[in-house]
Amino acid sequence: MKLERSDRAPLWAFLTPAVVLMVVFFVIPVLYVVGISFFKWNGIGPATFNNVKNFTLLFKDKAFTRSILNNVIWALVAGFIQVPLAMVMAIILSRKPKGWKFFRTVYFFPQVISGIALATLWRAVYNAETGLLNGLLNVIGRGDLACDWLGGIKTAFPAVLIYWIFYIGYYMVIMMADITTIDESYYEAATIDGATDFQQAIHITIPLIRRTSLLTCVTLASVMGLRQFEQVYMLTNGGPANTTSTIVLYMYKRLQDSNYGMAGASALILIIIGVVFIICIRKLFEGRSETMAPGKRRAGK
Amino acid sequence: MSETRVRPALQGKELILALLRWILIIFFAVYTLFPLIWLVISSLKTNFEFLAASPFTLPAVPQWQNYINALTVAGLGRMLLNSVIVGLAATVINVVVASMGAYCISRFRFRGRERIFTLFTAGILVPLNALMVPYFVIINKLGLYNTYGGMILLYCAIGIPMSTFLIRGLMDSIPMELEEAAYIDGCGFFGRFFHIILPLSRTGIVTAATFQFLTCWNEFVFANLIVSSEKLRTIQVGIRYFTNQFSTDYVSMYAAIVISIVPSIIGYVLFQEQIIAGMTSGAVKG
Repeated sequence: MKLERSDRAPLWAFLTPAVVLMVVFFVIPVLYVVGISFFKWNGIGPATFNNVKNFTLLFKDKAFTRSILNNVIWALVAGFIQVPLAMVMAIILSRKPKGWKFFRTVYFFPQVISGIALATLWRAVYNAETGLLNGLLNVIGRGDLACDWLGGIKTAFPAVLIYWIFYIGYYMVIMMADITTIDESYYEAATIDGATDFQQAIHITIPLIRRTSLLTCVTLASVMGLRQFEQVYMLTNGGPANTTSTIVLYMYKRLQDSNYGMAGASALILIIIGVVFIICIRKLFEGRSETMAPGKRRAGK
Repeated sequence: MSETRVRPALQGKELILALLRWILIIFFAVYTLFPLIWLVISSLKTNFEFLAASPFTLPAVPQWQNYINALTVAGLGRMLLNSVIVGLAATVINVVVASMGAYCISRFRFRGRERIFTLFTAGILVPLNALMVPYFVIINKLGLYNTYGGMILLYCAIGIPMSTFLIRGLMDSIPMELEEAAYIDGCGFFGRFFHIILPLSRTGIVTAATFQFLTCWNEFVFANLIVSSEKLRTIQVGIRYFTNQFSTDYVSMYAAIVISIVPSIIGYVLFQEQIIAGMTSGAVKG
């Protein structure tokens, strides 16, 4: 619509609240994080310029390097185990087997329950004396495997990581939405040629979603893996011996110590790792692009 | 989609695949539901039953008393009320602000539009957890630490990119001719917004509002960061203190967790389409 002179004032009046909120809660905070990383500040006194000392201190701290390692593992597992599982289920459910709507609803449950409630539930599941997991092991006669899952150095991180992997609903639903837009005639032709469901999934569905929803999901899942906080905060608070710490948890703890410079520096590193991940994943998915152009696949839409 | 694809009778490899398919479908369903069901069953046992019997035994008599304990000991009523107040206020303001912004971006070409558009889109991708420090500082500077206002403002703000995106998507699909006709008939800026655009983008607004409310309801990190008073705790922040409050009264604690989860599940079942649309459309189109 052409902007009339009389529309100009109301237009800016309408835009201002949203723009102000965006500036105050997105632009300024990002700049703030970048700036504060180079200062030493306890939240009360004056901030003093600290050059890159925050960063050298961070990388000397074993708790921080362990946090980075954990986040990277988390992001990789999310992107390359959780999402492929979700993809398999998306392919299966988009064939609309009996009760597919029910299963879609169920798989999506963890997405609508708060992270903190889920973590509390799993803390109860993993509990050494009263937990469901040890109870199950006893019932099937493998009580010897029962242990303090969240308290053991070896078991804590896998325990924190694994319960999350099988919650695939979110990525599955995204990929299902994508799969339903694939032109049905591809499958009809393949069926006439005698291709099995499995072959159709490998040769039609996966290549066609690879550069759209699959790429989106791998990116999303990895970024989520880098942002983990509530799960570890609630399940282990980073322990035992920092083996389950994450960058955000580390940052939160520095914030609680009123060490704003270090907290800002770890936030900046988190943002940078996130950008690197996003770029690498894009490169990885663009690298092998022997499939047809995405634009050509959706006839009659 | 044709649902009557002709398939030959299952045999050999196909049969194994079909079997595998159902094993997977059931595995993921059991994995999601079983811990939840266990939680509900445990919340109805006595502490003695819970500690002594295997996880599969049902309670002899359902202990509804646990739920009354949970509500009184943890002060869940107050927390639920706080969550509703903060969630509703943040959602209403958020949707109003986002609709106004989306109207301008979607229907008008003006200088600075591209830049504002980029700002909103980039906002969706920012890892909010990394902004804990500035949010803490800003809320303090505004004198909103430990207030409803602080939570409402912050929730409203962090949801703006997503809500604007969802509402704008719908507004973009409204034909320009409709608005131009109204303009020729002498309908002004506000008239067109209230009488034409707003009613026609209802579904987008409902999706955005549902998504925003769910996000507020489930939000923990920032509520935990900018509120310290017990009176202002939302339900998610409250959960964090359950383990201390109930110490060894496991069954009442489980009842409290069930109470905190139930509203999300009910809301999801009621607004399933909106929630799924809200949570996936950003990803699919983006």
